[in-house]
Amino acid sequence: MIEVRDLRVRYGGRLAAHVPELDVAAGECVAIVGESGSGKSTTLLSLLGLLPDADVSGNVRVCGVDVLSASPRELRAVRGARAALVIQSPQAALSPATRLGVLMRRALRLHGRDAGERVMAEAVESVLLDPAILRRRPHEVSGGQAQRFAIALAIALGAEVILADEPTSALDVTVQAEVVGVLRRLREERGLALLLVSHDLALVSTIADRVLVMRDGEVVESGPAGRVLAEPSHPYTRELLEALP
Amino acid sequence: MRGPVRLRRTLPRVPDRLAGLGGVLIALVVLAAVFAPLLAPYPADELKPAEALLPPDGAHWFGTDQVGRDILTRVLYGGRTSLAVAAAVLAASAAVGVTLGVVAGYAGGWLRDVILRVTDVFLAFPALLLSLALAVVLQPSVSTAVVAIAVTWWPWYTRLAASVAASVATRPYVDAARCLGVPAPMIVLRHVLPNSLTPVLVQISLDAGGVILTAAALSYLGLGAQEPTAEWGLMVQQGQSLFTTNWWVVTFPGLAILVTAFAFNMLGEGLRNALDPRRAVR
Amino acid sequence: MTAMPLLRAERVTLGYGGRAVVHEVSLDVTEGGVGLIGESGSGKTTLARAFLGLLTPMSGNIWYGNQTLKKADLRAFRRDVQPVFQAESLDPRMRVGASVAEALPRAERHRVPELLGQVGLDPELAGRRPHQLSGGQRQRVVIARALAVSPRLLILDEPTSALDVTVQARVLDLLAGLGTERLLITHNLAVVRRLCRTSHVMFAGRLVESGPTADLLARPAHPYTRALRDAVPRLGGAPPRARGRAEAAPAGSGCPFRPRCPLAVAACESAPEPRELDGRRVACHRAEDVLAAAVGEVS
Repeated sequence: MIEVRDLRVRYGGRLAAHVPELDVAAGECVAIVGESGSGKSTTLLSLLGLLPDADVSGNVRVCGVDVLSASPRELRAVRGARAALVIQSPQAALSPATRLGVLMRRALRLHGRDAGERVMAEAVESVLLDPAILRRRPHEVSGGQAQRFAIALAIALGAEVILADEPTSALDVTVQAEVVGVLRRLREERGLALLLVSHDLALVSTIADRVLVMRDGEVVESGPAGRVLAEPSHPYTRELLEALP
Repeated sequence: MRGPVRLRRTLPRVPDRLAGLGGVLIALVVLAAVFAPLLAPYPADELKPAEALLPPDGAHWFGTDQVGRDILTRVLYGGRTSLAVAAAVLAASAAVGVTLGVVAGYAGGWLRDVILRVTDVFLAFPALLLSLALAVVLQPSVSTAVVAIAVTWWPWYTRLAASVAASVATRPYVDAARCLGVPAPMIVLRHVLPNSLTPVLVQISLDAGGVILTAAALSYLGLGAQEPTAEWGLMVQQGQSLFTTNWWVVTFPGLAILVTAFAFNMLGEGLRNALDPRRAVR
Repeated sequence: MTAMPLLRAERVTLGYGGRAVVHEVSLDVTEGGVGLIGESGSGKTTLARAFLGLLTPMSGNIWYGNQTLKKADLRAFRRDVQPVFQAESLDPRMRVGASVAEALPRAERHRVPELLGQVGLDPELAGRRPHQLSGGQRQRVVIARALAVSPRLLILDEPTSALDVTVQARVLDLLAGLGTERLLITHNLAVVRRLCRTSHVMFAGRLVESGPTADLLARPAHPYTRALRDAVPRLGGAPPRARGRAEAAPAGSGCPFRPRCPLAVAACESAPEPRELDGRRVACHRAEDVLAAAVGEVS
């Protein structure tokens, strides 16, 4: 689903992120972990061509499309439908006066998809929400519900891969557990691929198959989640693990 | 949070350029007013009835008026009056308005209610009408115009400062100062006031054009600056009857008002966008 | 335990504009660190504001020693009890040295470098403004400012939640090494485990369980404490569990946790009174069953 070779993101000559290799297959979850300023979010956004100010080089294929050389139209087709971005606070990105159902219907029509009541209800139910939520407005739902709705929207649009940037960092732990549970289920039942950016090693260890640890724009360590977290080879990974309270 | 912020920055920043243009124009107007004695081609109030109503030419770039005064000279000197009026009105209304507003916003409760009710009373009258009434009661002059406009202007700053200060008062650093036992007046002076000023400064630059226009309107109605003071509004009033025959008498001071008011507005809009990233998106 | 607690809440109801968000909470700030655990909207920060004297209770009393806060000597209280809010509690326009100096009498302003040194900061940083410091450095300045008056008790509101983990670890070390008492408000169970001997769990404006921290987290007696603990992801552990549906709103009457509770029965329609049980104070009709299940899990 995602294939990255020698990705370099520069801001005015300064290297903000360098990822030699990153692959995410269908049904797989790969996590990029790091602290603030590590380049993890920059990496994620660059994969969707969302950094127009940055100078991005390398080889990036998302759902078979070469992101760096794709036309804006090709890029939009991938971004809106097959690869979905999930951000930390979706509520802020949803138009406050519009009911969630209307938002979803518009998005589906925009991408030429079936926007029937049943399709929408199924999408919402797949993230364990009551379809009644479609009649509510973004500010009338909780943070966890909004995040799950964002995931439902991605599913309805036919997302094969979800790129999630700190999707649960703004949520309470009990709510985080639900969102993570939904992501796991979608992975198992639909073969959804998941690229997760997070600062939370413990959370990542419970869901990711493979992990990349980033620091100051460079990948310091990568490998199967179990191995990296159990036998870290880089001192920074060890430092991160020891810092866990 | 980081993602959307970064996306936002990629939006074109056209307003910045307009603000820059506004700033340059204002700088030019201010310099022209300050150095009027050096720049003006003729002495300030030199009357030459023989040269009345000459159209613009090499000797008088902007032409002359009914009593033979050089209009370029009068526009330059008029800038002094108009800018001084704007500065005086804005300084007085901001000083009174912000002081009351910050106190109202921080204190809350009955004090806030009383202060805001008073501003309501002032705001209930149409501003120009109240200025007019005051200007009629007092002796018409430039300083009368300043008082008359300032009286109608300060309540806006009170309301603005009150709402900003009320939000600043809930910030954790204000709570921290309260927990340290810092007395309320010190908290207002040290924390609330400095952190409430930015929107007020923006509003001041947005308002400067409006004050100049209002002062011009008062003069135009004969209630502000009086002959022989050079003031743009007064010059427009005296020249308007001649517009069809001697267009330059009214046009150049009118343009001066327009350009200055417009420049202040551009600067204010630009400042607002620069200081408030959320608005820049819209 | 015989000593009188420095601060005590007695059936305190708190709210804004006449609407209560904290209901009849009683809590002693005892020695060894006290944790106040809750998720967003639980009322924990509101309760902290009342303990700091920033919010007057709608009913009930905050006791400072043997006086209610209304009658107490506020100058002494302000010296004894200081807040440590999140790192963003510094005036953005003030140099951080000035922020620390604000806490000091004029004659003692020379102590600023010493105080910055005490929290592990280079005294040179006094001339910087908050945005020129890292999040961890800002949090240390906030702590230095609180320490300036040599308080006996620090009320810490999410002191590390905005920080990166490695920075968080160092700030926690600093806090653990200070010689003051602590009331720590947080949603982070690991931080409470580290800094607090006793903990209280809040849900929907009520205390649902109180007890020794280690015991409370090992064998919760309230289903909400258990849900909270199980939701925290553990390194290499099973995926976090979510029990019950989180979106259910707390009920106006009866047990507030009832709509989310997997163990709810008819008796939960009536509000449970807090009661003593096995070294805890817990407000749940089914606390015995929760405890029994916890024992089963351990074995």
